[in-house]
Amino acid sequence: MEGEVSESCVESLLAEIVLVVGHQFSERYTMDRPRFTDNLEAIKFICKDFWSELFKKQIDNLKTNHRGTFVLQDNRFRWLAHMSIDPSVQASGNIQDPSAMAENKSTQATGMHLYFPCGIIRRALSNLGIACAVSADISNLPACSFVIRIKA
Amino acid sequence: MIVCLAVVGHENNPLYIQSFTESDDALKLHHIVHCSLDVIDERVNNPKKSSPTINEAFLGLLYPTENYKVYGYLTNTKVKFILVTTDLDIRDADVRNFFRKFHAAYVDAVSNPFHVPGKRITSRTFGERVSTIVKSFGLSSAS
Repeated sequence: MEGEVSESCVESLLAEIVLVVGHQFSERYTMDRPRFTDNLEAIKFICKDFWSELFKKQIDNLKTNHRGTFVLQDNRFRWLAHMSIDPSVQASGNIQDPSAMAENKSTQATGMHLYFPCGIIRRALSNLGIACAVSADISNLPACSFVIRIKA
Repeated sequence: MIVCLAVVGHENNPLYIQSFTESDDALKLHHIVHCSLDVIDERVNNPKKSSPTINEAFLGLLYPTENYKVYGYLTNTKVKFILVTTDLDIRDADVRNFFRKFHAAYVDAVSNPFHVPGKRITSRTFGERVSTIVKSFGLSSAS
């Protein structure tokens, strides 16, 4: 029985939802704040206020290379906290590598759950005027890292 | 008295525009709103260094025309609120208060799942809330 949903299908279904939800979140949570002076302020907003509203906690670690790439690390990502992990495939958990993914369905399935948060972050940032690409790294569940690359 | 309110999106697309006068000035008011968009862009792109309000959402009086005063407010998401009023002695604090309530009503209207981001706001509830805020503005600043 065909019980699997293909990845591109998931992406297109979620894309519209993410568009609307990300827009609404960004409107609501930036309401009482003064305008952001630069990209770093906006990313810090995502790490602190945005994350606390959505996940009741702040981002645990923020790293940047000062050239437009930011890594946000959440040590216990709530939406994946209860997902069971196959210990043998922990090593290749990066969802951006398709060849590794083809071999482990559990990582693939977990990866699909990350489209929504990545999409919301991307949409919220673009609403603040920052075009970017967001990807996620789940090599150490339940810790999750989001990599934001700002398009110059 | 407030004669016109407008919400303009990121790409300068109109999201909501409402006049509160009985006369047929709608076109003139729309034109005033349109011109004020340029003033907002100019103020945001060339901030005066001495201005302490460089990061504030409330932009203040944009420009006075012969009969009207135009106030602007820019949200973090690059959405602009424009208020056109005929009152000549309005307090800044009243206008700020008004924009705060209007922003709250706008956020609620946008949170409507049937609202498409970038399209006009068609919610009747939003229209009613806005009328209430406009009426209370007139009462509070009556001198």
